Amino acid sequence: MIFWIGKLLAPFPSLSFLRLAEYLSARSIGAALTAVLLTLWITPKVIWWLQRRAFVDQVRETGIPSAFDKAGTPVMGGVVLVGVVTGSSLLWCNLGSGYALLVLLGMVWFGAIGFIDDRAKMMARSGDKGMSEPKKLLLQGTFAALLVAVLASPWTPLPAAEAARLHLPFLKTAILDSPWLYLPFVFLFVLLVGNSVNITDGMDGLAIVPSVFAISVLGVFGYLLGNAIWSRYLVYPFLPGAGELAIFASAFAGAGIGFLWFNAYPAQIFMGDTGSLSIGGSLAVASVLLKQEFLFVILGGLFVAEAFSSQVQDKIGIKLLGRRIFARAPLHHAMAYNGLAETKVVVRLWIVAGILALAALATLKLR
Amino acid sequence: MKTGTRILLTGGGTAGHVNPALAIGAALAEPGSETLFVGVKGRAEEQVVPREGIPIRFVRASGFPGARPSPAFARFLVDLAFGTAQAAAILLRFRPDVLVGTGGFASAPVIFAATFLKKLRMSKARVFVHEQNAVPGKLNRLVGRYAEKVFVTFPETLSLFPGNGALTGYPVRKRIGHVAPEEARARLDFPVPEGRTVVFVFGGSQGSRSLNRGLVDALGDLMPHAGRLFIVHGTGLFKGGGYDAQADTAARLAARYTEEERARIAAFYTSRSYFHDIASVYALAGLVVIRGGSGSLNEVARMGIPALVVPKANLPGDHQVANARALERAGGAEVLYEETVLSDGHLVEVLDGARLARRILALAEDPERLADMSKKGRDVLGIDAAAEIAHHVRLGHARTGIDPTLVPAPSVVSNAALLSRLEKAAVAAGRSYRVEDVVEPRDLTWFRSRAASLLVNDEWEARNLGVKLLGLLDAKEKVPLLLALLADRTPAPLLQRILGGDFAQVGFVRRNVYTALGRLDVVDAGVEEALLSGFSDPYWEVRAEAARTAARFAGRLSRHAEAVAALRRGLSDRNLEAAAAAAEALGVLGSEKDALPALLALADYRFWKVRAAALKGVLSLVERGEVRDREKLKKALPGFLLTSTDFRPQFEMKLSYRRVVEALSRGQEAAR
Repeated sequence: MIFWIGKLLAPFPSLSFLRLAEYLSARSIGAALTAVLLTLWITPKVIWWLQRRAFVDQVRETGIPSAFDKAGTPVMGGVVLVGVVTGSSLLWCNLGSGYALLVLLGMVWFGAIGFIDDRAKMMARSGDKGMSEPKKLLLQGTFAALLVAVLASPWTPLPAAEAARLHLPFLKTAILDSPWLYLPFVFLFVLLVGNSVNITDGMDGLAIVPSVFAISVLGVFGYLLGNAIWSRYLVYPFLPGAGELAIFASAFAGAGIGFLWFNAYPAQIFMGDTGSLSIGGSLAVASVLLKQEFLFVILGGLFVAEAFSSQVQDKIGIKLLGRRIFARAPLHHAMAYNGLAETKVVVRLWIVAGILALAALATLKLR
Repeated sequence: MKTGTRILLTGGGTAGHVNPALAIGAALAEPGSETLFVGVKGRAEEQVVPREGIPIRFVRASGFPGARPSPAFARFLVDLAFGTAQAAAILLRFRPDVLVGTGGFASAPVIFAATFLKKLRMSKARVFVHEQNAVPGKLNRLVGRYAEKVFVTFPETLSLFPGNGALTGYPVRKRIGHVAPEEARARLDFPVPEGRTVVFVFGGSQGSRSLNRGLVDALGDLMPHAGRLFIVHGTGLFKGGGYDAQADTAARLAARYTEEERARIAAFYTSRSYFHDIASVYALAGLVVIRGGSGSLNEVARMGIPALVVPKANLPGDHQVANARALERAGGAEVLYEETVLSDGHLVEVLDGARLARRILALAEDPERLADMSKKGRDVLGIDAAAEIAHHVRLGHARTGIDPTLVPAPSVVSNAALLSRLEKAAVAAGRSYRVEDVVEPRDLTWFRSRAASLLVNDEWEARNLGVKLLGLLDAKEKVPLLLALLADRTPAPLLQRILGGDFAQVGFVRRNVYTALGRLDVVDAGVEEALLSGFSDPYWEVRAEAARTAARFAGRLSRHAEAVAALRRGLSDRNLEAAAAAAEALGVLGSEKDALPALLALADYRFWKVRAAALKGVLSLVERGEVRDREKLKKALPGFLLTSTDFRPQFEMKLSYRRVVEALSRGQEAAR
């Protein structure tokens, strides 16, 4: 919105400073600050309101002692996250940009699914009885199909040449240029990545910081790839308009930091499925829009490892072999079970995520 | 009914559903009425129905494979959707006035289609459903409420259909009529001596392996009473998969009894694989020994023949057991359960010959009891169910109105539900858990036997369930079965071994056996051997659990020294959990000489969890009074590295809150 106001009013001599609003960097900082302040202001009210309405987390049996004292912490912090990011983005993004709209839609859609799931869990008073898996996948799949449809249509924000190309992080040229293969791949990618943050959200502060790292790196990519000079210099496909993703990412990072203020151990609020799914959705859409799908293996490596360890332990270990393969799963539980305090696990995994984010940035130059 | 009534019958997939449908159809048919049968191709109905002269149409359907997402489930849904569409087309074309479903997956599409069409007001068919078992199948449980009436066989099933249930019994086709004894004797191709109780033993047209083998074994014990019995044995037609009913029975007879004995047996025993004229056998039988399938059970009870039922356990819904117990409660039958036993180191389900002989004799030599059972069976199940049903359909109410209060109505707790109940009780009661506080003694034997039969199941999850149940049910006599599971070193399939599996008796099962052994609190040579081999099991959770169980048996182990030595070796286990468990167990079992030095050596072990366990072990030694040289220990203690990377948080407000609650309840106690 500010973008449009700026565009509209900047020609007036006394308001020429509003030309600042056209710059991505200015708007990014504005988005981030708005998001942080808004989150810090609104979250305590939300915590109080949620606690009064007994929107508390349902406990699952994990065998890890610290989890038991947590029953009674409000969930649905993700609503704040989604709300603040949406608000900040609406304010600072150029809403004519398909990039901004698509990633916002992804976040809100996945967040809504998470919201319904959280509510269902609360109604059933059990952490194990949320929305059924098939239903979740169906709803997510609908969005993925929608995204694919938009990408393949004339309204795609991507330049036509790039629309069906698949890139790998270290290679300068695309490895694939076929709608028939690429679009189904995008579909699956959105489903997988959308759910990947879910597993990681198991300890206080664990999911939010790696998410902030990941979305920030994607924001940087958005800024660079949306810039004609930078993208040519780094030998990346030029994606005009992708810079709006940087603003979205800033808003997200700001909201994330504001959330961390309250979510650090011991947490006053959890993000719930609302939050983790909305993060997953944003990461998925942003990755697809920037043609950086495979970068997620590095960038979201922590999420991947957590989801992978969880699936292997469950599907291969418990269901097929009738024994545990890892001492515990997912990854953060294994670390805690072997004797690491929860706070230490969280910080160590932040470090890992940070290293992975830097590695992902490094791929910009390692071509 | 008006002339030209159109009747649609559906039911099948498996044979037990087709015959009742035909019986009901026969009762409903009138001059001018039209009947159509809808079933599944390639199933029993395809053969049987045309022989009755009734036209048959087919729809697609497949059995319900379980609610987990899988390719089979997807196919089931596709088949169901397709089949329902086909059924709808048939319904719209045939326009039945009355639709009768007898269950089985073949009827699912038709019932669904009928219900949908009725909701859309495109069909006026009145939908009726008949349930043959005491515990209704999934289909009837799902759609029963939409039917106009649900006809049930057993009184206890009424409670599940409070709005529209009607007790009618089991419809039997007229062909199995009554035959006079003299005529029967004349018709049969073997002589049946007079003045003896004829015992008819058969496991259905296919036969039953455990029943056949059990009977052969029982013959030895029945020989002394040969003068008062005549056994007619229907071995069944089954041939395949390593079992040939007829041949196996003959071979077993030859193997178990000498020539002389077999001659004596021939005087009171005869066997056939199949009886074309089963009505004549029934006419002469004073007692039948059968399986718990609803069809034969009801047939027999209707004719007033007392039954000794040997149900096959752990079938879906446990329906054979439920049926058997239902008839038992009505007074028309007695139930004999199979047992899971060790045979050549393998677990098998058998019918014990001696027990079978005892039960047969007890019944056969008690004519009063037999007469009573005969009457009770006929009272409850002897009604002409098909006529009852026809009456309901035509006139909307019962004809004879059986008194459903004849039989009380308990429910059959499933294994999983039972486990959940026992686990909750065990957690609540802790050390003072007694299974008799949770389960009726009368049911205890049956639950134990049922849990034991889970141990031979193909799926490890079922075996796991059985192991856990046996521990919680305090089934001490089943310990040899549990030990046999542990000793079973059959390797897992190749794919599983590649991924990290070890044996067919998977890690969870082995671990839970040790937990169960700990609960059962039996310490004998077999158990000790199992413990010692458990310390070197390939799976770490088993090693840890074996150590914990050994600790429970402290002071009662005869191979104590070996155990301590093994635990000492376990201290250097690469797995943290196993090493820690060994350390704690060593503290409970060991002494100053053989345990303390090893535990102290762990004082600066790299992983704090093992250090912590070693410290706990030292504590146990001290508390048990094993430590004489206290000064030396005091000097060695500071060697323990006390830092750890974990801690337990305390929430001060929650603590205070708990204290307030406790103080209040203490105050209440004092005030009382």
